[in-house]
Amino acid sequence: MIILTDHLPILLIAIPILSSMVMVFLKGSPVLQKNLNVFIYFCLVILAIMLLQKVWTGGIMVYEVGEWGKYGIILVADLLSSGMVLLTLGISFLSLIYSLDYIEERSLNSTYHSLFNLLVAGLNGSFLTGDIFNLFVFFEVLLLSSCGLVIANEKVGVTRSSDKMEATFKYLILSMLGSIVMLIAVASLYATVGTLNMADIAVKVSASSAAGTLPWHVFAIALLFIVVFGNKAAIFPLHYWLPDVHPTAPSPISAMLSGVLIKIGVYGMLRVFFLIFRDVLPMFQPIIILMALATIVVGAVSAVGQTDIKRMLAYSSIGQIGYIFLGIGMGSALTIAASLVYLVNHAVAKSMLFLTSGGIIHHAGTRDMYRMGGMIKSAPLMASMFLVGAMSISGIPPMGGFIAKFVLFKAGIQEEYYIPVAIAILFALFTLFYMMRAWMKMFWGTVNDSERQGNATPHAPALLMAIPIIILALIIVVLGLYAEPLLALAQATAEQIVDPQPYIDAVLTRNVR
Amino acid sequence: MNNTFLSLTIAILFGIGTFLILRRDIVKVIIGLGILSHAVNVLIVSVGIFDGTRVPILAGSYNEAETTGSVFNDNLAEDILSPVVQAGTHIDYVDPLVQALVLTAIVISLATTAFILILAYRIHEEYGTTDIRELRRLWG
Repeated sequence: MIILTDHLPILLIAIPILSSMVMVFLKGSPVLQKNLNVFIYFCLVILAIMLLQKVWTGGIMVYEVGEWGKYGIILVADLLSSGMVLLTLGISFLSLIYSLDYIEERSLNSTYHSLFNLLVAGLNGSFLTGDIFNLFVFFEVLLLSSCGLVIANEKVGVTRSSDKMEATFKYLILSMLGSIVMLIAVASLYATVGTLNMADIAVKVSASSAAGTLPWHVFAIALLFIVVFGNKAAIFPLHYWLPDVHPTAPSPISAMLSGVLIKIGVYGMLRVFFLIFRDVLPMFQPIIILMALATIVVGAVSAVGQTDIKRMLAYSSIGQIGYIFLGIGMGSALTIAASLVYLVNHAVAKSMLFLTSGGIIHHAGTRDMYRMGGMIKSAPLMASMFLVGAMSISGIPPMGGFIAKFVLFKAGIQEEYYIPVAIAILFALFTLFYMMRAWMKMFWGTVNDSERQGNATPHAPALLMAIPIIILALIIVVLGLYAEPLLALAQATAEQIVDPQPYIDAVLTRNVR
Repeated sequence: MNNTFLSLTIAILFGIGTFLILRRDIVKVIIGLGILSHAVNVLIVSVGIFDGTRVPILAGSYNEAETTGSVFNDNLAEDILSPVVQAGTHIDYVDPLVQALVLTAIVISLATTAFILILAYRIHEEYGTTDIRELRRLWG
């Protein structure tokens, strides 16, 4: 047991990688493959809870891979990392259960499980690593595996495979450009400070900043990192790939992409800007706030004009990521805590909405909201669950989204950012409008679903598809009614982010050879 | 002088890559990405060239590190050669870390390029063209 708790960070990365290999060999026996993978994810969720609990009680945990001290790759689990890992594994566990019934048998049995494992390994690795080049490597791992997953087929084929190819092509090209930019930034950073360990870079950058000898190109590197993480998180000028990719992916993968994968950009922003560039951060705050506001406006306005339900949800993701970046841009402990609360709530609600939209699409046989209608009688579960998610995203009181929006706007007003908060509140009304309009279009009015339209046989949501949605809906309600634990966790995390000295000490006071 | 040529080479590679990425043919875009990633690889390697006395691994002064035993010492009898040179010695050496980084980057770009080439082939099958202007069924 002691061995287990000591090696938690590496286990969270190694188990998915190993099981992705095992899944390839188990191709011949699909039942075993499914059950084993679900069991593995159950274990991983428990490990993630143990990690968060250990970090919460015992402080930042540093794990050396090999014994090279700060020169080798180290894994660092602070509150932000371990919280994000828990969020990732929770959502991927539920998406996995959902996809057992949703994904077409052939896709599911051949490569789906191993790619899914690799995606989770990449996500966990990028959250846990303390080495900036290793972050790049894990970005590539999760990029390639997510491309493979976007192409997987659904049982009811509402998305043409040519659409999938086109979306994946755009996604892959833009992400590769992003990783090229990231490599340039990492190489320039290494040339400047001569180390790749993030804590070490932070010490050296702030030392040269205190001595007044900070070279000018550090600012350029910081801008490059804004491009990299902005590309991952799809903030305004770099968001064009997202509304193509997220709707064409099968719904459980859309849930993973929208729920967790775009949060990688947020995590990277928090890690890099509040650790490495914290001395030059005030210069970039206005840029981040401006981009966040532009993202909110573009996301909200574009979502209003959509007829495709998943495309509308994807644009809504863009808008919501803008709110998270708004909190980061304001840059105090309060606003960062608020944006972390927002991040968790958005991850849960949006993955739940994407899973629900999968059920709705399979029920109606189309993705066009205007060709659906009156489904409240024939699909009552999906109707109520979509309403819960829509209420949470648009911030109506009993749900978690209300707490998130309230905390964010309150923190913004306390920090005296009146105009950005006013704009954000104005466009939150847009969210309410498009979410409720979508719900009314699909579930009220004259009955118009696949049985009436006489096309493909509907795929009734089985228990495996209903359970994850119900669990996520319960989490949303609990986050709204009993938000204190999350708020306390977010507050502690934000304090760790704003004052990175404990992180630096924990990493650098290891035995250095 | 060498540095000038190296910088020029990297700059030209970046230029060619960017030019190709802006072409309208999918295959040209992919070739452009390949050239860009190799430009980045050359950039990373060029980061590791030192012509001074910067010690890559050692923090603090050499003597201090030697007394604390944190430095390898030459032991010719056992064929152990120290990777760290005396502070103050003028020597040209290459940082080994960046080469490890470049190896990783090359392998990753190989994998992504292979994937994207297969994707381009499938797109050609589906659309019957490699013209990027035809890939407009989804509007951003």
